[in-house]
This record gives sequence, C-alpha cells and structure tokens, in this order.
Amino acid sequence: MQSETAAKRKTRGFAYFQKGFRTHRFAYALIVPTLLFMLLVHFLPMAQGIIMSTLKLNQFTLARYLHAPFIGLDNYKSLLFDGSNPVRQGMGFAVRNTVIYTIVVTFLVLAWGLAVAMLMNRPFPGRGIARTAMLLPWVVPSYVVGVLWGFMWQQDGIINYLLVDVLHLMGEKPFWLIGHNTIWAIIIPTIWRGWPFLMIVFLAALQTIPEDIYEAARIDGAHKLRQFVHITLPLLKPVFAVQLLFQFINNVYSYNIVSTMFGNGAGYPGEWGDLLMTALTRQSFGYWAFGSGSAASFLLMVVMLVFVGIWYRMFRSELNAQ
Amino acid sequence: MLKKKSKWTLFSTVMALTLLLAGCGGNSGNGSGSQASGSAAASSSPSASASGQASSSAQSAPVTLSAWIMPNSPKPDADLLKVMDPYLKQHPNVTLKVTVLDWGSAWTKITTAATSGEGPDILQLGTTWVPAIASMGGIDKITDKISDVGGAENYLSASWNTTKIEGQEDIYAVPWFVDARAIYYNTEAFKAANVDPAEAFKTWESFEAALQKVNGVTVGGNKVAALGIPGKNDWNVVHNIFPWIWAAGGDVLSADHKSAVFNEGKGIDGVMYYTGLANKGLVDKSSLEKNSSQIESDFGDGKSAVIITGPWLAKNFATPKDAGGMSDKAAAKQFAISPLPAGPAGQSTFIGGSDLTVFKGSKHKDEAWDVIKYLSSEEAQKAYANISGQLPAKKSLIESPDLDSNMKAFAEATKYGKSYPSIPQWGPTETALQKHFANIWDIVAGVKGKYDKDSIQKEMDDAAAEVNSIIQQ
Repeated sequence: MQSETAAKRKTRGFAYFQKGFRTHRFAYALIVPTLLFMLLVHFLPMAQGIIMSTLKLNQFTLARYLHAPFIGLDNYKSLLFDGSNPVRQGMGFAVRNTVIYTIVVTFLVLAWGLAVAMLMNRPFPGRGIARTAMLLPWVVPSYVVGVLWGFMWQQDGIINYLLVDVLHLMGEKPFWLIGHNTIWAIIIPTIWRGWPFLMIVFLAALQTIPEDIYEAARIDGAHKLRQFVHITLPLLKPVFAVQLLFQFINNVYSYNIVSTMFGNGAGYPGEWGDLLMTALTRQSFGYWAFGSGSAASFLLMVVMLVFVGIWYRMFRSELNAQ
Repeated sequence: MLKKKSKWTLFSTVMALTLLLAGCGGNSGNGSGSQASGSAAASSSPSASASGQASSSAQSAPVTLSAWIMPNSPKPDADLLKVMDPYLKQHPNVTLKVTVLDWGSAWTKITTAATSGEGPDILQLGTTWVPAIASMGGIDKITDKISDVGGAENYLSASWNTTKIEGQEDIYAVPWFVDARAIYYNTEAFKAANVDPAEAFKTWESFEAALQKVNGVTVGGNKVAALGIPGKNDWNVVHNIFPWIWAAGGDVLSADHKSAVFNEGKGIDGVMYYTGLANKGLVDKSSLEKNSSQIESDFGDGKSAVIITGPWLAKNFATPKDAGGMSDKAAAKQFAISPLPAGPAGQSTFIGGSDLTVFKGSKHKDEAWDVIKYLSSEEAQKAYANISGQLPAKKSLIESPDLDSNMKAFAEATKYGKSYPSIPQWGPTETALQKHFANIWDIVAGVKGKYDKDSIQKEMDDAAAEVNSIIQQ
C-alpha cells in the first residue's frame, strides 16, 4: 500500500494532490487553524530569531528591533572566534556541565523508570495506589522543585541533616549549592522529577507485550534475564528510542530547576551549576547581546539537529517498523 | 522531529524572556516576600475608575492615565491609589489605572513598550534602568520642568544622580523613593556580649572587634553567629559588596566612566575586609548559600546578631504575620539600626530606589507630569514611604525630625550613600559583576581554590576585564 501511493504520487503529481484534496476537503479544513497557529507561534518566532542573529542588536539598537543594522554573519564570526564576545564568557563551563548533566540524567531516568515500571507491571496488592503515589514528583512544577530542593540542599538543610546527623555518612556538612557539588544538586532533583513519567510510559508499553510470548519463552526454558534481553528490550525499543530523544532534548534545554534554585535567574549558579540555557539566557539578555544570543541559539539548534539526525539513523528501522 | 525540537527552542526563548534581568534593577527593596504578593495584583478596580469619570464631566475633559509600577508595598496598586486619593478627589476628571509589573518581567515589558511606543503614561523605573531606557528613547526629557518638583537641591545627590545619563545635562526622571543599606543588630545579643552598640559601628576595627565578642553568645536559647551574609545566590550580591569598596576608598569606574577601577588596590582592601569577616569565622558559612530574605528571616529568628539590609525589614518586623510580616519573630522587638562602620576612606552605603518617568508614547504628558508632581509633594512622599517602608526621596523628609526612629539611622546612612554610575550599560555591567562576585563567594566558602589576596585579586581583575569590554563597546 505504502509503495503504491508513493508511485501514484510520483506519476500523477499535482493531479494526485488535487484529488486527495477534494476527497479530504473537510479534513484539510480542520487542519487549517492548527497550521496557522503553528506558523504564528512556531515558525515566525524561529524565522525572527534567525533574522535577529544577523543584526547588530543591543540595547542601543533594540528600539529599532528588526530594523537594527544588518551585519550579516558577524555575530557568528565573533561568537566563534572572538574571545571577548559576551555570550562566550563562561560558556565552556556551561557546555561541560550540560554534557555531564544530560548524560547522567538521561541514562538514570531511563534506567530507573524502566526498572520501576517492570516492578509495577506485576500484580500486587495496592498496585494502583503505588503507581499514583510514584507519579507525585512529576506533578510538582519544575519551578517548585527548584525552590524546594534549593532549601533542602542548604548546608543546614534537611539533606545534610540526614547524611551527617542521622546516617553519619559524612564527617562534616558539605556545601551543595556552591562549588563542585552543585552539579549533583541539579542532577538529583531533575532525576527525582523526571523518572515517574518514564515509568508510566514504559509501563504502558510493557502492558502491550502479549503474555503468551513470555509463556512460549518459559516453555523453551528461557530464564528471567533472557526473557528481559530477548523479549522485553527489543519490544520496548521503539518506545525507548522516542523517550531517549525526548530526554536528550529536554535535558540539553533544561532551565527551570537551575534557574529557580540559584536566586531565580539573578544568581550565578557557579562553574559547576551553570547549564547551556541558563548561561545563554544570562549572557545574552543580561548583557543585552541579543544578536549574539540569537546566533548562539541558532548554532545550538543546528548542533541539536545533527544529534537528532544521528538518533534517527540509529533507530530508523525501529521507528519505521511501526 | 524538527517540530518537537523547535518547540523547545521557542519554549526556552519564552522562558528566557520572562526571567530577564531583574537583578540589574538596582532596587532590590522588595524582598521576595512583597514580590510574591505584588505579582498577583493586576490593575485598579474598574468601579473606582467609573465613578471618577462620572463626576468629572463638568470641569475639564476626562482623562485616564495609566501607571506602571513595581511591587513596592504589600498591596502595590491599592496602596498607590490610596496615596493618590486626595489628588484624585481634587481632579475628578482624572482616572488612574495602576498596573503592577513584577521585577522579574518588568524589564522585558518596559523595553517592549519603549520599542513599540505602546505603554503607560507614568512609568516607575529602578534607578539603574533610567539611563538605559533614556538612551533607548523610551522616556521624556523633563529638564525644563524640574523646578516643579523642587529641583536637584531637594534630593540626595546620590539619587538625583540616577535621573540622568552620566556626562549629559538632561534630566529624565524624578526620584520617587530611596533604598539604602544599613546595619540591623540584635540588641539582646549585644547586651549579652556586653558590647556597646554606640562604639561597635564606628570603624571597621571596632566593628570586627564587636563581631568577635558577639560571635557565639546565647540569646533566647540560640547560639548566634555574629554576622549573616547572603552569598552568591541572591539579587543583592553586588549591592552588598560595593559599600565596602567605597568605604575603602575604591570606586566602580574611573571618573570618565571609561574603565573599571574597582579592582585597584583600595577596592581590593574593601573586598578583603568584608569577605575576611566570613573567613575569620564571624559568619555562619551556611548563610553563604542563602538569599537576602532567608538571611532576614534567620536574623528574625535570632540566628545572627548583625545583618546588613534595606529599610523594608523594619517595616516587615512591624507587620503582623497574617499580613505577610514578621512581627511574631523573636528579633522583631529587639533590634536597632545603625549606619555602616567607617572604613579608611570614611562611611559609605549603597543607594538605589526607584524614579518616576513620563513615558515617551504617552498621549497625556501634562496630566502625567501633574501626577508625578503630586507624588513628589511632601504629603504624598510621606504617605507612600509609610505604606511601602521605603525611604522618601525628598531631602526635607529624610532630614525631618519626626521621621520614624528606625528610619533615622537610614537617613543618617544616606548622607554617605553612593549610587552606581548612571551609564546606559549598567545592566550588563551588573550582570558581569554578579557573576564574578559569586565566584568570590565560592572562594570564601573554600570550594574554589585558596582564599587569599591573590585569588580575590585575580577574580576582580577578570571582572574588570569583562566590565571594560562592556562599557567600551
């Protein structure tokens, strides 16, 4: 069927489109508002961002906005080659932290989400309540997560109380919100908030796997681990692929928790707490370097597109199989 | 997949826009407590506007003025209307519509307004924002009208300085209220340590000696730390450090405002003295992770004997808990206020606050100016200061003998107060300073190399280099 329509499209081109349009007129009419809305909130701002990246847009020219002086690719040049460009300051730390943060959060959220989903997939008394209870962290808005954990991480806060006074795991109370530990202070709350959603997605996927496949495997003598590796994992792969992408994008663009944990955008999260988005926001809006900021955002988008391309190549077969 | 991705780009852009730059306002007078209440408020009640309009028709044409203010008081819009009430009764043709912006999003909204020309008639600006908005062409010159509000000699020079662009003659704004920094100390802690407050806050030496004595005394069953200092996760990082740089004889920029000088010898002495207090164990280091309102709350609980903050805390201590205040706290009835101690170059403090401006796109500029004139009158200045807990901007009121006794210490402090250079690039400059001063607190906390003069000097030099590249562009 798939190849047939493709062939038709090729041979008849516009006529085919016209016919399709005529038969599905009502459906197209229904799509139009969405399409217009997408153009408005989605492509227009993006186009504007790209235009802004070619302008000398700072506080003195902001009043002219899109009529600010056109400087071509100078913003990109300065971003890549001029060490004094404001958007570059401290960006090295932000990139390093974002790489660590994204890898650790993505991996742990997926692994933990899957592990708990498998536990929740077997029947036990109170399963419904347990599932709902586990969703709670995900319901907490990320803004609140940042503020709450910001209190808990304080040197005289509850985390140090538990670690030092109750469990005696450490000799003296460490700083979590300043210095090297900051990276953990942002990773852990993100995982805490992120995994329940993965659990729900994996749980839904697990429930679509027919029980008789496992039964057949059991009859053939496959033990639990083999069942997991040869049945569960392959069948979850499409879901896994999509979630991997979501998590990756989500974490690279992470902003809320870090921003609220460190003075609501005012504070500098420090060399071990700054992420790409918080750095980009501060360095472009804080320094009124709107042109350079747009250029940096566009470059980031290109880099992300490359990653999305790699991801697509990796999982193409699974995604098309569906 | 592209769709998903750019949706996130858009989302983060929107997030970025909404969380912009609140820190550079100079006025951090609204501790986070009042900010929360303010952001919920919208505009004045429509019924009040309607009645104002109805009775006006006889005299002059009815006019509706719109004012954008920040959350300066517990009920920002209602409080301003209350202060404006006598004026509005006298001018029944005038209806005032008050819109409250929170500091976090105000900058975006104001620059958008300045860019599009669509905005209010009367606009409140944080003192450090005036030169930037003026250079963008967002507000009117009022140079020829300043005699209406008493002119420069009626205001503190530090706050009058914020009404113009450094190096130019034109005036763009009128100071509305003043934010300053002074010492709050726990009188019981000083009694328990047998320290005479009259001596303690005279000089840097006596201040440090007093802190040494007060450190660790027990008050109300609490062991107090001598000094509470918010570290880097705060709006006030820059405002907290400059008073010490000034008192040491340093300054922010050179006289021609072309280069940074805060990293020169005297400035470093100031930073070393202030951060040294923390390094010598006079500060509970856990406070270095906290923000100003947490430090204020800790002081209220009697956890620290001394903190340095603005006039709003006194108002906060007098406000009952159910109205959002801290009058139930232990220290609410056992505190006093003193100006900062004198360094080698004398006393100093930070002066900020807010100014009133006439928006360029306003269609009722004369009426808007008339309202600003009223808000600058002694009557309105006094009423607004009482409601907001901020210092009035008019010198005659700051120096008035019937000023609230807590505010007298602030009035005294303002005599030595300084404001930041009134340059259009101050916003970015403050962002850069904020970042490098944050690193200094990391060094003090012992998590970023060794604390000594060299490491502080290096961080200050980095800050100066970044500031230079901002102001010389």
